[in-house]
Amino acid sequence: MSRMRKITIDPITRLEGHGKIEIFLNDAGDVDRAYLQIPELRGFEKFCEGRPAEEMPRITTMICGVCPTAHHMASTKTLDDLWKVEPTSTAKKIRRLMYNAFMAEDHILHFFFLGGPDLIVGPTAPAAERNILGVIGKVGLEVGGKVIEARKRLRNVLRIIGGKPVMPSCGLPGGVSKTISEEERKTLIEAGEYAVEFCQFALKAFDDIVLRNKDYIDLITGDIYKHRTYYMGLVDENNKVNFYDGMIRVVDPDGKEFATFRPQEYLDHIREHVEPWSYMKFCYLKNVGWKGFTDGEGSGIYRVAPLARLNVADGMATPLAQEAYEKLFETLGGKPAHNTLAFHWARLVEALYASERVLELARDPELTSPDIVNLPTETPKEGIGVVEAPRGTLFHHYQTDETGILTGVNLIVATTNNMAPIVMSVEKAAKSLIHKGEVSDGLLNMIEMAFRAYDPCMACGTHALPGQMPLEIIICDPQSNEIKRLSRF
Amino acid sequence: MKTLILGVGNPILGDDGIGFHVAQELAKRINGENIDVRDANTSGLGLLENIAGYDKVIIIDAIETESRDIGGIYKLGLEDLVNTVDQASWPHGINFATAIEFGRKFAANQMPKEMVIFAIGVGQVTKFTGEMTAKLTETVPKVVNLVLKEVSST
Repeated sequence: MSRMRKITIDPITRLEGHGKIEIFLNDAGDVDRAYLQIPELRGFEKFCEGRPAEEMPRITTMICGVCPTAHHMASTKTLDDLWKVEPTSTAKKIRRLMYNAFMAEDHILHFFFLGGPDLIVGPTAPAAERNILGVIGKVGLEVGGKVIEARKRLRNVLRIIGGKPVMPSCGLPGGVSKTISEEERKTLIEAGEYAVEFCQFALKAFDDIVLRNKDYIDLITGDIYKHRTYYMGLVDENNKVNFYDGMIRVVDPDGKEFATFRPQEYLDHIREHVEPWSYMKFCYLKNVGWKGFTDGEGSGIYRVAPLARLNVADGMATPLAQEAYEKLFETLGGKPAHNTLAFHWARLVEALYASERVLELARDPELTSPDIVNLPTETPKEGIGVVEAPRGTLFHHYQTDETGILTGVNLIVATTNNMAPIVMSVEKAAKSLIHKGEVSDGLLNMIEMAFRAYDPCMACGTHALPGQMPLEIIICDPQSNEIKRLSRF
Repeated sequence: MKTLILGVGNPILGDDGIGFHVAQELAKRINGENIDVRDANTSGLGLLENIAGYDKVIIIDAIETESRDIGGIYKLGLEDLVNTVDQASWPHGINFATAIEFGRKFAANQMPKEMVIFAIGVGQVTKFTGEMTAKLTETVPKVVNLVLKEVSST
């Protein structure tokens, strides 16, 4: 037992893997620039090269323990494109059903566990209450049980279709690997019904607690959390929100359509900018250009994820979600809505849409057809697949030799699209809370809120204890001398 | 009494895979009706779902320590993690201690009565590779023996 040691673990335990924000003040003591640094996972593309492409739907699920289904689906669709094989009608329905169940589950979880502490418990509540337990205290004890039940049922959908609840393994080029029985279809219908009802309940709670509170409305619509940017997301043939498939649509800060393109054309529209102070890449619209961390029509910075998807679309394809969509834009003063905190609200609208989709697809008797795969016959070369992950548009792009061995892999994960806006949101919150060298006490909170609205995925593939990535804020004078350090650890 | 041995980690993310590799070894050695060996590439609530319904759970996970002692083995109880219960921390995922608190509140009858955590000090956890640091690979048999000892004392 000589190697057994004692250790004290508490929020003071200092880790290398923490997020760091450096805020530089000017001579007047106001914010000059803010820099955000986040540890990044590296080397995935290289790790994949030399492997058979058909392994990708299973390997990519291991990138991230939070959204494996998004990677699985993007990867499976990339294989369709790689072998130029169209999935059967039943296979598409099965995939869509699974994907919508995943989106509903992920959104519900985010809202109650991560968004709720800010909007339901409130930004000024004591830190010890700003967590899921505080949310339950406010919404009611029964909500905890309901969240667990909704999650359990939706994950059961993933298990029935995907093979496993966490890491799905059903996707094949041209279809899926497993049929659905009538008995299973009944369970899927029940899950859909439960999820639709739960999401309506969640939107009602949002209405009662957030929308009827003027302070919250002021916070959501206030200038601290506002950026006039471009928006991007997938839409169906009627320009309605779609998570699984469609065209990529971009609207400008006035809501006018800027571009609509096929996923295969993404490189004609998206570029990645590199900054000397960060390993992170910052996406921007190639046809507008990189103008620095600034918003407005002249800057190519765009946003993705729930509010962005609602902004680019003409509506929702299901009736209850459409009602909720209309209410959101009515309350926020029209489309597009530029309010970062409204991402939380949009997330609930999307969860309702996804749940209605699950139910609609589960009720379709075609779901149990045995016709679930078209076998590929073409020689592979290059494939591109795109889905809307909970956190935004997710791109997979593979190149192979003629035997299907990977020679090139490029992924743009959802959060990379939002990275530049996140940096801007941090800087804006800092600017509004630091004046003449005076740092407001609420700074850390307000900056964390800007982050959480985007639900960013950062180095979340690691699971090392204690299991959280703390955030540290360092404020420096123009000569780079540290003035103040804020952190939770 | 039902026991679960759970190796936590991502097998393709370098040292983060330590829990997975230990669980793989243990699965070869342990065979009993009332004991399960599993690995889980998940955290927070995902872990909660894995451990629900067991009486005793032994978790093997990676830990990043200040001193970066790769291969250091720490035997912890839940009480050691209590200070990390979420205080509106980093977005996107809740930590283990917070998940347990949540479980105790809403699924108390399914929560294990006893939990032991073997936390192993790790180095490289941000670059995708199936290989662990050599020093950590050497630790695997030691951890396996400690877990077996823990099981036999049950």
